[in-house]
Parts: sequence; structure tokens; C-alpha cells
Amino acid sequence: MIKIEIVNRPISFFTNDDSVKQDGAELIFNGRVRATEHGKNITALEYEQYEGMAEEELTQLAKATCENFPIHDLFCKHRIGRVDVGETSLHVSIGSKHRKEGLEAMTWFISELKKRVPIWKWAILEDGSRIPSECTH
Amino acid sequence: MIKVTIKCFSQVKYALGTDEFTLEFEMGKTTSQLEQLIREKAHGKLDGISLRVAVNQKYVPNEVELKDGDEVAFIPPVQGG
Repeated sequence: MIKIEIVNRPISFFTNDDSVKQDGAELIFNGRVRATEHGKNITALEYEQYEGMAEEELTQLAKATCENFPIHDLFCKHRIGRVDVGETSLHVSIGSKHRKEGLEAMTWFISELKKRVPIWKWAILEDGSRIPSECTH
Repeated sequence: MIKVTIKCFSQVKYALGTDEFTLEFEMGKTTSQLEQLIREKAHGKLDGISLRVAVNQKYVPNEVELKDGDEVAFIPPVQGG
């Protein structure tokens, strides 16, 4: 199963589903806003999306991940707008029979997300000015 | 004549000072010709920045001819996550 959401508010995490019997691994990834960018202290990241296309690309990417890796579920929430330091901007949950394929799927999904999903971010410095965020890790 | 809408994001929005505008031109214009026009309008602010093109919210791999009513975006390097 695939669930994709792009939200302009704090992310509520997906809840555990103890009724799932076929998966031995449940992987959770939370991407959080770091306090520094290019060695400078920041207060937040500001995310912008291409509305419509971002969600469609994310959905197609999730489908491709489920086709390329033997996983059962991929749930993803991506936040847009202002995200303060320490808050979650990306939340991904993957269910798989074993951990190895789940870990590989998670790595591939997030790497591809950073290449193709039309979402951008600016770093907000302590003085309120904005600089492009160039982090691709 | 055809009319297309250009959507601008991130560095393109910053370079052009707008998030959306429309252009009218004669039939036969291609995405690469439009990209050249966009770069000229940016007065150097997009130099060195690679742009992918999306037509009607889908990436297009090669130069395509634009049609009346198309929505075009020149996508700077994305930064999700």
C-alpha cells in the first residue's frame, strides 16, 4: 500500500499497525531541520513545492520503489512552508519482510526524492535573511 | 498564436521576480527556445543553473513543441527532504 501526503502543518506520524502479519521489518525515517546551514546558524527552512506535480512525482516514485524492491508498504509525508529547527520535514515508513530490502528501499526512495520531486528549500538565518539551501545529503 | 503559462519556482522565481506569467507567440515554438528566452529575461541570474523542463506538470526529456494552453515550468535543481 502507498500513502503520500504533502502538508503545510506539523507532521503527524503514521501510527503503528500491529495487524500487519507479513512484515518482519518496519523502518521509520524522520528528516529534521538542522540548526546550521553552510556553517551558519539558522532558525528554519522554508519549503516550496510545485503544487500538483510534487505529489504526483512522489506518488510515482513510491510506486517505482514498491516495484523495484520487495516491500509491501511505503508511507510518506513531506512538509512544506516554514519548518523550524528541530521539526520534521520528511517522514517515511516502509514495511518489508526483512530489514535488508527495507533499508535499501528507504535509501533509494529518499535519494530519488532529492533528484526528481519538485520541492525546494531556503534557509532562514537568525537575522531573518534567506539563503538557498544546497544540502543534498 | 498560442498562449502558454510559465510557472516559476526557487531560483527561477527569484531571478524573474514572479511566480507565474503568460506568453503569447506563434505556433512552432519549442521548450528549448522558451528556455533561452527565460534565461535572457533573467539577465544572467540563471547562468550556471541547470533547468529541467516540465510541460503540464510532467518532466519532458527532450525538446518538445508547445501547444496552446500549455503550462511550462523550468525546474531548477530540486531540494526536497
